[in-house]
Amino acid sequence: MTSPADTTSAGTSQTFIRHGDHIDTIESVDMVFREQRKLSFTYGAIFFAVTLFIPASSVWWEAWYTTPVWGGFTLNYLVVSLLYYIFLWTMAWTYSKQADKLDESLMHMADEVANKSIGGEGQ
Amino acid sequence: MNTIAIILVIALVLFTIALSIFSRRFTRTTADFYLAGRKVGSFSNASAISGDYLSAASFLGVAGAVYASGLDGVWYAAGFAGGFMVVVLFIASALRRFGEYTVADFAYGRFGSDRVRLVTVVATLLVSIFYMAPQMYGAGTTWKILVGRGFFPAGADGLFLGVDPIYLSGVTVVAAIMMFYVAMGGMKGTTLNQIFQFWWLWFAMFLVVAFAFGQGFNYPAELKTASEAKLTATKTLTVKELTAVDAKTGKAPLDNAKATMSAESLAEVEKAIAAGDETVKVNVLLTQKNKLHDTRNMIFGEPGHRYNTFDQFSMVLALVLGTAGLPHILNRYYTNPSGAAARRSTFWVLIFIGTFYIMAPIAGLAARSRILDAFANGTAPANAAYVDGILVKSDALMPTIGQILGGEWLLGIVAAGAFAAMFSTIGGLLIASASAVGHDVYEKYINPNATEANRVAVGKGAVIFFASLAWVVGWAIPYTGLQNAYPALIAMMVTWAFAVGASAFVPMLLTGIWWKGTTERGAISGMLVGLVGSIAIIFMNISQQLKVPAFAADQGVVGFLASLTFPVLFTFPAALLTIIVVSKLDGQLPKNLDEIWMRIHGTAHERYERELGLDKVGGVFGGGK
Repeated sequence: MTSPADTTSAGTSQTFIRHGDHIDTIESVDMVFREQRKLSFTYGAIFFAVTLFIPASSVWWEAWYTTPVWGGFTLNYLVVSLLYYIFLWTMAWTYSKQADKLDESLMHMADEVANKSIGGEGQ
Repeated sequence: MNTIAIILVIALVLFTIALSIFSRRFTRTTADFYLAGRKVGSFSNASAISGDYLSAASFLGVAGAVYASGLDGVWYAAGFAGGFMVVVLFIASALRRFGEYTVADFAYGRFGSDRVRLVTVVATLLVSIFYMAPQMYGAGTTWKILVGRGFFPAGADGLFLGVDPIYLSGVTVVAAIMMFYVAMGGMKGTTLNQIFQFWWLWFAMFLVVAFAFGQGFNYPAELKTASEAKLTATKTLTVKELTAVDAKTGKAPLDNAKATMSAESLAEVEKAIAAGDETVKVNVLLTQKNKLHDTRNMIFGEPGHRYNTFDQFSMVLALVLGTAGLPHILNRYYTNPSGAAARRSTFWVLIFIGTFYIMAPIAGLAARSRILDAFANGTAPANAAYVDGILVKSDALMPTIGQILGGEWLLGIVAAGAFAAMFSTIGGLLIASASAVGHDVYEKYINPNATEANRVAVGKGAVIFFASLAWVVGWAIPYTGLQNAYPALIAMMVTWAFAVGASAFVPMLLTGIWWKGTTERGAISGMLVGLVGSIAIIFMNISQQLKVPAFAADQGVVGFLASLTFPVLFTFPAALLTIIVVSKLDGQLPKNLDEIWMRIHGTAHERYERELGLDKVGGVFGGGK
């Protein structure tokens, strides 16, 4: 099902993991990591800002929890019972698509960086 | 006895067992037993994760919490769903890339010590037990409404082993079925069952909501009506508690009950008081206070029934962070064939559970007026207890409203849905617990040379042990009187599991995945601070609710900590900070850190699998290529 990882250490900058013809070096992985971290933490910041905005408003913004906007729905009730899900679905969808796209571009770059850093040994 | 309902539940149980027997042919190796061969497709895995995740708390608890608490109850639903964003953003891909069996494997692989693995195993077991408790309580409660009779003999006090024998019968039946079907089918069988069970309980919730709309439910209008009067809720108190005068206000709960209850119901309460036994318990209806804005009346559509300012934030954090700390959910991410598939699974999970969680509060709101009407007409189900048409135990709401809206058939579908919710979650918890003991302890330390058959046998033995433990927990809840301490106990208990998981695991996982400087000592210290801190505060809160004298005061540090319904607001940052500080002071990074880092974030494995087409999944019945 998978190839056994062939890991070689020949000095700190020469550590690599090989699966078939594909190689990870610490340089290529660090590059992938930095890009993934940027994407995940950007989305994470938006997610927590929106999520914590709701209880903060419930505590400190009176109109949020007292003023009806549709029948008995206040903004607070409407967001928690309906709109928050639309926010979650949109975020999950756009994040998955962007992460897939990032994976795609990083996969090619990772091969290039890895090959450079081990002097073409992987080919 | 509800014959049609019981037939439907029995049919569900038989189908579940048949699926487990069918799955045996696929459970030959430990990878099959714990991970379903690592080849579960996104849609199937999403359905199974949803089944794993939607427990009695979601099916019985959320609607019950909305019914009892209004908007504060709705937050359970939104928070439960929001938790998956943390999983997809920070955890899912990395866990799958690391490619082990369990969270303890991750901890061991990342930090390289046996100590960290064992601490993770202990935390896994504690979180699982916390999560198992409300499932077993839900089993007993639903059985009581559905079947209404048990097989244990009642003593002179009407109890068996100190609890209601009918309730204990339900707990026993569910524990026995779970023991059988998980041990028999392993992860593959559990996965198949969870897929089926999820769609059953989704359909059951959909039917309840559809019947409500079909019978004239108008969401904005009924929300308006429900929010016009002060919120009332039932409470079970002893005569002593009911008549105790509060030193600050100079009033007793009895004064509140007198102003809230009907003359007829109050007469029964006064009769109990007149009898003179202060230990006798009575059900009363009380007008609720607003804990968030104390100058405002507590109404259904406003926040503040359950949570003060601290708890508003702490509960949200417990729910959104806790999902990423549930071992049985995290284990599921190892069954994905790739990191991208793990993300896709999570998106589908959000769609599946999101639609479910939009419906659950509708059921809770619809029940408020419909149960009142049925009570007034004399058509309310007789197996549930009421005070002036308000359910005494809101966790009994779903079967009650099912019967009111759609008679025995809908009651049957709902009851089967409740059992499906319990089965699917307990199944995941038993697999997670069994893998913690069988895989993380037995295979690594006790008998590393065990044969494949031996390993599977130990996994099955662990399932039997933990199913027995679940029974004990199910018995202990009413034995200790815990069910009288909280208005929506099932949802509350699940949130405790979330709080413990969020405090013990999530800081370790986040730093382990995203911060190279995390050391083994830092990870262990953080996990212990989160684990011990969260459990201690939860038990202090329980003690305060049960009026244990040492925690009864609401002043001072102990009083403040004991008043926290959810500890995450303090225990999560404390654990995270501990990891950072101890890691900085320690500085002992693993010698092969680069290699570990490449396992977590490297993509060579995925590139290789993709090149060979190995990232494609097989059918759910047949395994992968």
